[in-house]
Amino acid sequence: MGKRTRPEFSLVKGSEHSLSGPALVQLLGAVLDKGAAVRFQAKGFSMSPFIKNKDVVTISPLQGKRPGLGHIIAFVHKETDGLCIHRIVRVKDGFYVTKGDNISETAECVPRENILGLLTRVERTGKEVFLGLGPERLVIAFLGRRGLLLPLLLPVWKLLRAIVKRSPS
Amino acid sequence: MSMEAKVSLDGLYKVSEDVVARTIEDELIIVPLVAGIGDLEDELFTLNETGKAIWDRLDGKKTLRDILRELSAEFEAPAGEIEQDLIGLVEELVKRRILIAAA
Repeated sequence: MGKRTRPEFSLVKGSEHSLSGPALVQLLGAVLDKGAAVRFQAKGFSMSPFIKNKDVVTISPLQGKRPGLGHIIAFVHKETDGLCIHRIVRVKDGFYVTKGDNISETAECVPRENILGLLTRVERTGKEVFLGLGPERLVIAFLGRRGLLLPLLLPVWKLLRAIVKRSPS
Repeated sequence: MSMEAKVSLDGLYKVSEDVVARTIEDELIIVPLVAGIGDLEDELFTLNETGKAIWDRLDGKKTLRDILRELSAEFEAPAGEIEQDLIGLVEELVKRRILIAAA
């Protein structure tokens, strides 16, 4: 016989719930296995500016689709077993070479079986963000592979921010 | 349109097919799949240990009365209180279409 507490049914916002990396992978995999997409808050800066920290992303199941160059995929990181969301910068010998848009480190080879799904939507402060998911993804992947994305992007980004700040509201 | 859930002690209830539930790090996490999306951002539910004791028994084969009997044997609490909590939880889960009536 155990002392009883009241049954509690709580609605928790995902962003308020501290799921660890492997736990998030487990839950995400279970939803994707049912053929459904998963919507959750992304954490980290490795895909900035196309995906920023706390953006809400939607990952869809592959369902036979082959991810291609420039697509952003969710996969299980081979060292941490946690979730990783990076862009495909090369497809080679059945492996997907991925890289964060905002990191200059070496790209990572991801086997197909480690891919959980494809990023299909990004929301920032309630609005959908399209940049980086359309045909321009091919250019981003090409520049990312050659390590040219950040050196080219940063000055453009600074210029755009300066123009936006100067423009009358 | 609000859906009023009428729950009977003689009713049979089971988890909907459109739900993913996993015990992760000792906590039951429930994610309803609505329009083909599992929304971890806005529609993630959790149950505490007592709630999980009810959830684990909702198999579509035991009536709520059977479950009430089992819970009364397991937990130190007045039967009336357990019944109230059981009905309350099942009503909430049915309202959110996480549980469905089993034929």
